Order: sequence, then C-alpha cells, then structure tokens
Amino acid sequence: MATIHNTIRTDTVPAGTSPPAPARASGRKRAGLGEKTIPYLLLAPAVLVMLVLLAWPALQVIGISFRKLDLGELVRGEVVWVGVTNYTEVLSDPEFWTITLRTVLFTAAVVAGTVVAGLLIAVLMRHLTGPVKVFVQVTLVLAWATPILATTTVFQWIFDQQYGILNKTLVKLGFDSFQGYSWFSSGTSTLTVIGMLILWQAVPFVCFTIYAGLLQAPKELYEAAAMDGASAWQTFSTVSWPTIRPLVTLATFLSVIWDFKVFAQVWAIRGGGPDGESTTLPVLLYLRGIAGRHFGVASAVAVLMILVLVVLTARYLQLLLRTREGDVS
Amino acid sequence: MNKTRGQRITLNTAGVLVALVFAFPTYWLLTSAFKPSTAMLTPDYDLIPLSVTFDNFVSAWAKPGFLTHLTNSLIVTVGAVLLSLVAGVLAAFPLARLRFRGRKGFLLLVLIAQMAPMEALFIPMFLLMQDAGLLNKLPSLLLVYFAITLPFTVWTLRGFVQGIPYELEEAAMVDGCGRFGAFRRVVLPLLGPGIVATSVFAFITAWNEFLYALVFMRDKDKQTLPVWLSTFRTVFGTDWGGIMAASVMYSLPALIFFLIVQRKLVSGATAGALKG
Repeated sequence: MATIHNTIRTDTVPAGTSPPAPARASGRKRAGLGEKTIPYLLLAPAVLVMLVLLAWPALQVIGISFRKLDLGELVRGEVVWVGVTNYTEVLSDPEFWTITLRTVLFTAAVVAGTVVAGLLIAVLMRHLTGPVKVFVQVTLVLAWATPILATTTVFQWIFDQQYGILNKTLVKLGFDSFQGYSWFSSGTSTLTVIGMLILWQAVPFVCFTIYAGLLQAPKELYEAAAMDGASAWQTFSTVSWPTIRPLVTLATFLSVIWDFKVFAQVWAIRGGGPDGESTTLPVLLYLRGIAGRHFGVASAVAVLMILVLVVLTARYLQLLLRTREGDVS
Repeated sequence: MNKTRGQRITLNTAGVLVALVFAFPTYWLLTSAFKPSTAMLTPDYDLIPLSVTFDNFVSAWAKPGFLTHLTNSLIVTVGAVLLSLVAGVLAAFPLARLRFRGRKGFLLLVLIAQMAPMEALFIPMFLLMQDAGLLNKLPSLLLVYFAITLPFTVWTLRGFVQGIPYELEEAAMVDGCGRFGAFRRVVLPLLGPGIVATSVFAFITAWNEFLYALVFMRDKDKQTLPVWLSTFRTVFGTDWGGIMAASVMYSLPALIFFLIVQRKLVSGATAGALKG
C-alpha cells in the first residue's frame, strides 16, 4: 500500500521475496477424499471476501454505469436501464475533457519529477559514505513513512498565506511581493503545491528501489570501466543503466498508477478548488457520486477513469503479466 | 573508487542539501508542534525554535472528538489487519504447500485484486454497504480495509511459507505430527517475522486510508483520524500548533511500525522486478 503516499505505497507492490517452486506435497502422500476439500476450505474466507468486496463491486460499477440511479431511484429501489446515456452525458461535457487532460498532465508531471529526482538521488546515494549517507537515508524514510494526511497539513502550514514559513523566507530573501501571497488562488499554483506534496512522499520509494538495483551491478564492471578511463557518464550509461533499467520502468509505471488515482491530497488541500480549477478525475468522481448523488453518471466516470488508466499503463500490465506467469505456476 | 577531495566535498554538499530538503517538512511538523502558541502567528522569522512546550499536545488531545477518532481509526485498522492475517495464513498454507485444481486461477485473482483501482469502486461499495445497513458504522470500513489489504497479505505470506524448507514439516510428520500439527508447530512459529512484516504493511495501508472513510462515515463521531485532520480548520481554526501536534500523534504509530520493516519494504518491492 504502499502507497506511504499513499497510502503507504504497498497496495500494488508485488511484494514478498520470489519464492522457490512449491513443494509437491500431494505426490508424497496419497490424499484421501476428505483431504481433497481441505485446500478449498482454507481458501474459502479469502475467496469469499475477494468475490464479495472486490469482484462484485467491479462488475456492479459497470452495471450501474448503464443505469439511471439518482437519489430517487435509490430510495424507490428502481432499476432503470438507460443504455449509454450516462456515457454520452459525461463525454459531451467539455468539463470532463478539461479535467481528464488536467489529470493526465498532472500525473505526467508528477511522475516525471518523481522518477528523475529518485534516480538522481539514488545515484548520489551510491557515491556517498558515512554520516551523510545515513542522514540522507533517514530523511527519506521519514518522508516516506509520515502518513499522507499529516504531511498534507504540514504543507498547508508551510504554504500558509500570512504566517507560512515559505512566504516569510521569500520576503526575507528580498522578494517582497510574496508578503501575504496566496499559493491557493489559482488552479495551477494549487496543483503545483499538491504535486510537490506528492513528490515529497513518492520520491523515497522510487529512490530506494533504484538504489537497491544500483547495488546489484557487478563491482568488477565498475572497476573495469575505471581502468579503461571511462568518464562518470560513460560508466553510468554502460554499467549502471542496463542494471537499473527494469527498475526504472517498474517505478515509473507504479508511479503512474498511484499518482493518477490520488484523491486524499487533492481533496484535503482545497477540495478541488479554487472554482474547480484543481479538480482531478478522482475528485470529479467523488463530487458526482457522493456529493451529487448521481450514482449512474459517477459510475460512468469511474469506468472511463479505469479505461484511461489501463491505456496509460497497458505496456506495463503486459510486461507484468508476462513476468508474473512464472510466479503463478 | 577513488575520488579527489574536491569531488568528495561536492558530493557531500549535494547529499546534505537533498537531506535538508527532505527533512524540512518533518522538521517543521515537529518544531511547530512544540512551539508555544504565542510564537506561531507572528511575523517574526522563526526557523529555529527558541522555546519548547507540550501545550499543543495537551490541547489537541483534549479537542472534542480526538479520542473518539483515534479509537475509530484503531478499531478499523487493527480489526482489518487481524482479519487479513487469519484469512491470509489460512490461504497461504495450501497455496504454498498443496496441489489442487484452481490454484493458478486463485493466484491470478489475487494478482488482479492487488492492482484493482479501489478508488474507482467506491460507488458500488457505498451502495453495497447501504443495502447491508452498514453505512455510517465502523464494520463497513473494517470490511473494506480487510478487502484492500487481503490480496497483498495472501501473496506475501505465501512467499514466506515457501521460504520455509518443506523438510522441516516432513521431519515433524515422521515424528508423528499430522500435516496440520506440523504446520502449527513448525511453520507457524517460523512464520513470525513474515507475519510481523505483512501486518505492518497492512496496518499502514489502512491507517492512511482516506477516501472510503470520507464516503462511508457521514456522522462526525464516526470519522477516522485522517478525515478529521482534513477538516482541521473547523476544529482548530488557526491553532496551527494544535493541528501540528495532532498530526504528530497521528503519525507516530505509522512511523514506529515503518522503521521496523523498512528494509523489507524495499527488497520486497524489488524482488519480483529484477528478473523481469
């Protein structure tokens, strides 16, 4: 979940050390009839929960997206099928396209920033030694572990209009125009602050992931490169990069999945404001569904949101399923 | 690698700068929480605190609702973690040790469930909980957190069980234990570290969760800590010291648990990636 950015960012991390092939237990002991049902009994609770609380809602969201389901229908318990009306309503709304574009651009900017910063700090960390290295690692872990909402409140305090330390510092440095400057007066500026907030929480995971990869690169290759008189850049591009490339890809796609779905930070900072200018797709979904009680329309937004996410991560999902097939066997 | 003195100074300076940038919000959270309220809303430049007080913690603790929200958060989080662990251990054993029809299918289901964008499913979840009469009640949140943390728990625990040599169980069975006796006496004790790591991940996930808590809990006294913190303006006004102190108290359990398993988090996340 981890979503330590979320959540802590562990939710989509395929965690756990890659285990050895399972022991072929059944070959060692002939199973009786009763024993055949045992695996299913043991799996039953997990299966039940995943079917009722994950698979069923996933099917439901598609079903509801083809229904008119406002508060009235809900109270009367009516099922009104309306075909693709919800989708045409959502898709013909220019606001939906603005918000989708904004969400995609915002995700792209935050992911790019996170991966570049994570990569640079990981490379830096490999060259550091002693107390400075420990200092960097401890601060990264603290940033990672602080709960999302705690970080969100401290960022609001730092960026506070009147007494925030940021404005005070800027004024002190001679930028007098920042006296009482409001960072939340426009959508772009609000999203910039939210982006920095997400970045701050997201970089540690990416950085440690890439750093772990850098440590895997064989030492002899670095020594050989040094003996050949390779420059720092040549060493990086011929020795380090090939080792960490799969990890950078992994971190990039996981970041896309996480940052695209971010709700808590956007909502807690300004509720999508000012004037809806920092509203992203998850916020729109909340506004339509829970605040507006248009469950059918909101479900259409949810389905479209999942589709956009699948399109953005299609290549990764393909890669992931291919490499995971081995694990499942 | 030998570096010149100049190179080392440059690298260390860059390292210290990075650390300062990342440390600052945490630093500011802590120092603000310990600052007297008279030192908060002043135009004075106060990067380094001059006096320390616990007043903010006392006032945040005494805020109406803080204890209720803390209790709510603890109930749903700890409850979900326990349920996840029980269902997870039960499922991990056959997945790691037995061969049966449908095993692959189940593992695929777990993988897909792990990637499911839960943020897009709250409408049907909301309606489901309404039908079940659970809306605005803690069990609804507990169940959803159970569902969110379960796939990951199953997958990780299965890995840990596979890491325990099967020969140990065989030896126990030769000595007269049944298969489940062997599991209980041999595997379960060795699974300890795995259970600790897994439950910490689950704890942090649920402790952080915001969206479902916001959607399900309409009554003020049913809210969890993160939702309550997001509305701090109505509770604290401009008492930034109080809100920072409340944030520190909210962060502590997550920070402590996180430090316990920090190393495993990194290796766990990368283990599957390297061979790809």
